[in-house]
Amino acid sequence: MNDSDLQHELGQHLREELLAGRLSRRELFRRATVLGLSAGTIAGLLAGTGGGPARAQAPPSKRGGTLRVALVPPTAAVDPVTMYDAGAIAMVQQVAEYLIWAENDLSLRPVLAQRWEPDASGKTWMFTLREGVRFQSGQAVTADDVVATFDRLTDPQTKSAARSNFKGILSKGNIEKAGPLKIVFHLDRPFVDFPYLVSSTNYNAVVLPASYAGDFEQHPVGTGPFTLAAYAPKETASFKRNPDYRQPGLPYLDGVEFRFFAETQPQVLALEAGAVDLMVATPFQGSQALFADPNVTILLTRSSKHRAVHMRADAAPFTDKRIRQAVALCLDRGKIVEGLFQGRADVGNDEMFAPLFPGAPAIPQRTQNYDRARQLLREAGAGTELKITLTYEVYQEVPQYAVYLQEMLRPAGISVTLDQMTQGAYYGSGGTQPWLQVPMGITDWASRTVPSQFIGPAYTCDGVWNSAHWCDPEFDGLAKQYDATLDTGSRRAIARKMALLQQDATPAIIAYWIRAPRAVRKRVRGVDASGSDFLDLTRASLA
Amino acid sequence: MARFLLRRLGLVLPALWLVSVLIFALAEIVPGDVARTILGPYATPEQAAALRHQLGADRPVPVRYAAWLGSFVIGRWGDSMVLHRPVRPFVLARLQNSLALALIALICVVPISLGLGIVAGLNEDRPVDTAISLIGLSLTAIPEFVSGVIVLVVFGVRLGWFPIIAQPPPGAGPLERIHDLLLPSIPLMLVLFGYIARMARAGMVEVMASGYIRTAVLKGLPLRYVILRHALRNALLPTITVIGSQVGWLVGGLVVVETLFTYPGLGKLIYDSAVGHDVTVLEATALLVAAIFMLSNLAADLLVALLNPRVRYSD
Repeated sequence: MNDSDLQHELGQHLREELLAGRLSRRELFRRATVLGLSAGTIAGLLAGTGGGPARAQAPPSKRGGTLRVALVPPTAAVDPVTMYDAGAIAMVQQVAEYLIWAENDLSLRPVLAQRWEPDASGKTWMFTLREGVRFQSGQAVTADDVVATFDRLTDPQTKSAARSNFKGILSKGNIEKAGPLKIVFHLDRPFVDFPYLVSSTNYNAVVLPASYAGDFEQHPVGTGPFTLAAYAPKETASFKRNPDYRQPGLPYLDGVEFRFFAETQPQVLALEAGAVDLMVATPFQGSQALFADPNVTILLTRSSKHRAVHMRADAAPFTDKRIRQAVALCLDRGKIVEGLFQGRADVGNDEMFAPLFPGAPAIPQRTQNYDRARQLLREAGAGTELKITLTYEVYQEVPQYAVYLQEMLRPAGISVTLDQMTQGAYYGSGGTQPWLQVPMGITDWASRTVPSQFIGPAYTCDGVWNSAHWCDPEFDGLAKQYDATLDTGSRRAIARKMALLQQDATPAIIAYWIRAPRAVRKRVRGVDASGSDFLDLTRASLA
Repeated sequence: MARFLLRRLGLVLPALWLVSVLIFALAEIVPGDVARTILGPYATPEQAAALRHQLGADRPVPVRYAAWLGSFVIGRWGDSMVLHRPVRPFVLARLQNSLALALIALICVVPISLGLGIVAGLNEDRPVDTAISLIGLSLTAIPEFVSGVIVLVVFGVRLGWFPIIAQPPPGAGPLERIHDLLLPSIPLMLVLFGYIARMARAGMVEVMASGYIRTAVLKGLPLRYVILRHALRNALLPTITVIGSQVGWLVGGLVVVETLFTYPGLGKLIYDSAVGHDVTVLEATALLVAAIFMLSNLAADLLVALLNPRVRYSD
């Protein structure tokens, strides 16, 4: 497995950055995996710079058994192409696999792709598939299946939300078969983080046979560690070990039982009583009992899950950025993180480079400053009392967060009227989508693995979910540059400029990045938490 | 009697039709739409609109209603747009579950609450009456989600006597099924106990104070005979009506209990299909529940008529 000259050069550059102290070992590892450097090369780059990242997996003390999993039910009929909720995604992830799996630290693990490499511009990416992999139907996985998979997701007629992720980056017909196991992606523009878009991050992107007809429930097929044996919507799903799984000896379990729960509380009780072994998503609100249960382990990982408190830059009173800044300056972020999550979140800085992201720039942290806030309000001519309405959905900690905002804005003379909606009403449909229309709203954002996945849709001029209606051509230009820059150092400089620009303009308050807990019974081994509530049980076992 | 029955049955059909219209209209008012349910919040408005068109959900309401009604009246319940499954087997399985839970709750709660209500009524204003009335009132005042969590934590988690998940595994025997349903029926029993016991008590108090009972006592009949032969028949009439009116709730209104105990019944299905705009499922479930509600009320009225000749002949 040889790396290209370009990969070699980029790798050497990463090593120089590491030796110069501008890059951590973890970051080098992450960047190197994104660029598709082979494991041997990465080990060489890290040699003599300290211990390598721990990747060793302890073999299980026991094989076999059935793991019982609690999770929310799929909302609709399960179809990998259109699925969007944690229930459907977790079901599909047992049966089918991605080209690449994005780990919690955002390093990339090759799954069906054996290797990948960009050209010098970052606009063309060549992927090589693993040899000898077969779908559960017995049919071999070939480049045709991969081309069909991504043509399906980028088809203008598709109903898959994945198409939005590829918008402006990858178009239908630009995925070329370059050999039985080789695929070339010709991008619309250079995109250095492209491997993330074909990884688990883009959760619809499981590789399905070219002949897939949208009937996953009737003919569940994939290359995954388990096969779907039975499914009763809203009740249960059971999976059996795939005896022909591509990794010999895996998975360790004989089977997996999904038990669907509509609410958090029954899941918590079921886990406490030992009726289930694992709770896929364990929102902090409502699960506190588990955090003190001696029979339960709480796995925790950083994520880029957050709430964006947008302020419409084109609507009164937020047209003046000083008003938006003043609002953001009222927040005691540490107190919010402590109060809402007992500290299980990272403080945010009103820009999109979460601490999780590789190369996140360190710009000055915005802290509570009422004097400055009042001064900004005066300068903006807001008078002594500003009245605003905050619209938000009933979802996890969001209502409590709204109350925190109301309380923290009051001392600056900003009186907040709370406008609470159900989640369905807040997102709405057709011409009524309050989250994109109200002057100020709190929107929940799921975790993403590249900042562009937030920035593109929410903070660029033609972003489809630009709820702040904020538009800065300079920022848009930088965002394009960021996506196209292979060099780590230059990339960090661009990120810094973008972060400063966004923080200054404050289209939205990002006060915290939520860490994702996952509760498991003590006997469960080999399972990770996941910022996106994904579930990889390939190495799971029961002690 | 036959006329009474026919007239009441004749009312059921127009009432069900009215319910179907109302449900269809209400489903329009609930925010969101079926395409969003299927595609989620991240699909673009264009994608949602395309799916809506594909499903025919963008046709005018009367057209959609007529299409649904046309199929439903000839026995075609249709497919769920959201779950891509035929509605009938899915809904009937849920109905069976709901009936089982309702039946167990009723079998447990009716004798107990009737008995205690009667005891309270016979002992009006004595300590035993006060105690029963007070307990009944307090239990009724506890919402099901509170009592449900308490019984789950105590009997499910701490003591481990009952499963946390009320749905028995496939192939479970009838005894296991009953055992698994006892826990979720407790919160229902607590709610119903207060109602039924109070009605039974009030009926008993009223009847015991009436002239014919006084006569019966004065003419020297044994008290037991007076109560069983003369008082009960009359005292229980309003209680039977109350029990009849609760059956609809027990079968189709248990959203909280079904959610808490992870029991696949009709209540949660109605809720989910209403929120998800899955109209075929919503109509089928809501109409089933409405029919059960009407029939159980009718059954209660018939029972009252059987026990009380005045009702029978007045019609």
